[in-house]
Amino acid sequence: MKQFGKIFKFELKYYLKNKIFVGVTIFLVLLIAAVMFFPRISALFKSDDKGSSADISIMLVKADDPAKADIIEQTFAAAFTNYDVQITNDENSVIKDKIISGDAKCAFVMTDATAYTYYVNNLSMYDMNTKIANDVLQRIYQVNAMIKSGITAEQVANVMSIQITGEVESLGKNQMENFFYTYIMIFALYMVILIYGQMVATNVATEKSSRAMEVLITSANPTSMMFGKVIASCLAGFIQLVAVFGSALIFYNLNKPYWGNNLVIESIFNIPPELLVYMLVFFILGFFIYAFMYGAVGSTASKLEDINTSVMPITMLFVIAFIVVVSSMSSSNVDNTVMKVCSYIPFTSPMSMFTRIAMSTVPWYEIAISIVILVVSTVGVGVLSAKIYRVGVLMYGTTPKISAIIKAARKA
Amino acid sequence: MILELKNIEKSFGDNKVLKGVSFKAEGGKAFGLLGRNGAGKTTSIRILMDVFRANSGEVLIDSQPINYDKIGIGYLPEERGLYPKKIIIDQLAYFAELKGMSHKAAIKSVDYWLERLDVTEYRNKRLDTLSKGNQQKIQLVTALAHDPDIIILDEPFAGLDPVNAMLLKDVVKEQIAKGKVVLFSSHQMNYIEEFCDSIAILNKGKIVLHGELQDIKRNYPRDRLVVRAGNSNAILADFGTSCNVMENGNLIIRLTDASEKKAVMIRLVENYDIDEVKVFEPSLNDIFVEFASDDAKEDN
Repeated sequence: MKQFGKIFKFELKYYLKNKIFVGVTIFLVLLIAAVMFFPRISALFKSDDKGSSADISIMLVKADDPAKADIIEQTFAAAFTNYDVQITNDENSVIKDKIISGDAKCAFVMTDATAYTYYVNNLSMYDMNTKIANDVLQRIYQVNAMIKSGITAEQVANVMSIQITGEVESLGKNQMENFFYTYIMIFALYMVILIYGQMVATNVATEKSSRAMEVLITSANPTSMMFGKVIASCLAGFIQLVAVFGSALIFYNLNKPYWGNNLVIESIFNIPPELLVYMLVFFILGFFIYAFMYGAVGSTASKLEDINTSVMPITMLFVIAFIVVVSSMSSSNVDNTVMKVCSYIPFTSPMSMFTRIAMSTVPWYEIAISIVILVVSTVGVGVLSAKIYRVGVLMYGTTPKISAIIKAARKA
Repeated sequence: MILELKNIEKSFGDNKVLKGVSFKAEGGKAFGLLGRNGAGKTTSIRILMDVFRANSGEVLIDSQPINYDKIGIGYLPEERGLYPKKIIIDQLAYFAELKGMSHKAAIKSVDYWLERLDVTEYRNKRLDTLSKGNQQKIQLVTALAHDPDIIILDEPFAGLDPVNAMLLKDVVKEQIAKGKVVLFSSHQMNYIEEFCDSIAILNKGKIVLHGELQDIKRNYPRDRLVVRAGNSNAILADFGTSCNVMENGNLIIRLTDASEKKAVMIRLVENYDIDEVKVFEPSLNDIFVEFASDDAKEDN
């Protein structure tokens, strides 16, 4: 136990003194800060702009019937508040020239009460003008038709202005709100486990290839070494996560007014506290089970170059788990059979059970069973890894076969 | 203190590496564990240090099973290497702490040894900035800093220049004088011969020779004389086939029986121009080659 403490301290110091670790953390915090301060900064520029350039884009509208010009101008002006709507009687070629030269932004040339041509210079992907115009023209047509059939203008106004009131009450979880934060948390889990798992493997392989292991293995017990390394890297990863998410939260609160009613951002920062607890539980267990495997595999490689191929099966397993979860999330059915099965398999449950808890309603006993399976297998994998490690670190030469290692580990 | 390995057997899979290894090493004396590559030296050392468990057999201290919590072991492995990218004082203190020292005591002891081995100037440098010889001295600190009761040095002189080799010899002699068990493993027979009072030769997983070096040498049949003389040709002619020329130009005379020694010596001194005549004692090198070669008898 005393040794474990010393190993843990030494390994943690390795991360905290590592320039890359510190650099990446600071970079991520700065990046988060830049994103969170963006609305405030852009608001700063906007307020400057207001006085100088007041020109709103001009929209030309040519009515098919001059008699309707007034009503068309009114309704268009009401619908397109971002534009200065102007009625024109120019020839089509003149209108086109005006748009090309930039005098006008766009133009609607009506050929009929129900048909028009929309002229615009570069059609933007987000150009919704035709959709709005369709609605406006449809409405004008309907009003005219109703008036013609003898309904009074007042009645028409009543009919047309009818408002529908609707309320959505989600009895389970609201997937619209929790999608983003679940996605972010799953992604963070994925990145941290993948990056730190590989770091554990590299760390072990470095000790082995530099032969520091020869002294280490005679100085400390392999179980303490394995646990010391894994827990230190877990804490380092956790520190990084807290730094990134913590700074995001702080910067968001500093800039809250500037974000206005951005629903996406708001939903991200509305994570229920109990979900954070689940996140912590699944993060720690998921991290451990993978880091132990990475450590064991790292101990079987004799050269650093071998690491990438050796850890491939573990990485693949993890990537597949991630893909299953993410594709289930985007299909909005997180309770499908694959996910249900995955939430009891220890290698996939950290992500899939967590996603189900976040995005659906899972009975408490299912969560309990999943966590118990995960805890038991994490301990099992930990003990087995320490044994493999004990044998693996002293095996040089070609990377031994898995069966040979397990056989040797059982005897150790 | 007496360290004893008793009937140690160890297999890796179907490969029987140690087939009943037993030897004793005494405190205050240096012990040499010799053997060819692959004879089982490193495996024996690892079992002694509890890296592996033996399939059968015991490791004893003063006839009691060894208690690794109480007995400190310092080890200089043949495959040298520490953390190349880490500051020397940090890693040396870490290794000493792993052996049970407090941080303060570890720093103090490491500083003492850096000074003693004349490498204090590298204290705050990274290991990979040092020359190979200096890295070796740094590594030696890991074997000594925690003041172990048993010191195991595997090829300690490899890669050291004569000045550093001298320094290491002095350090080792100090440790022996303190009553520690010092176990050498080396292929450099001259160093073993100089240091070790007793030896064990390991061949194919078995101890083929074990005992005090002096006794081993004395127990060799004393039936050969080494002669350095001015007129060796005359001797060669007179002694015929029983006399041969050695590589260094000396003559070696094989006696028909050891009891003839005195008579032959007198005959030589009286009749020829003799500079030196003595009973031939095999060097450790000769003994090693005899016992550790492939055609050596397994149960000698």
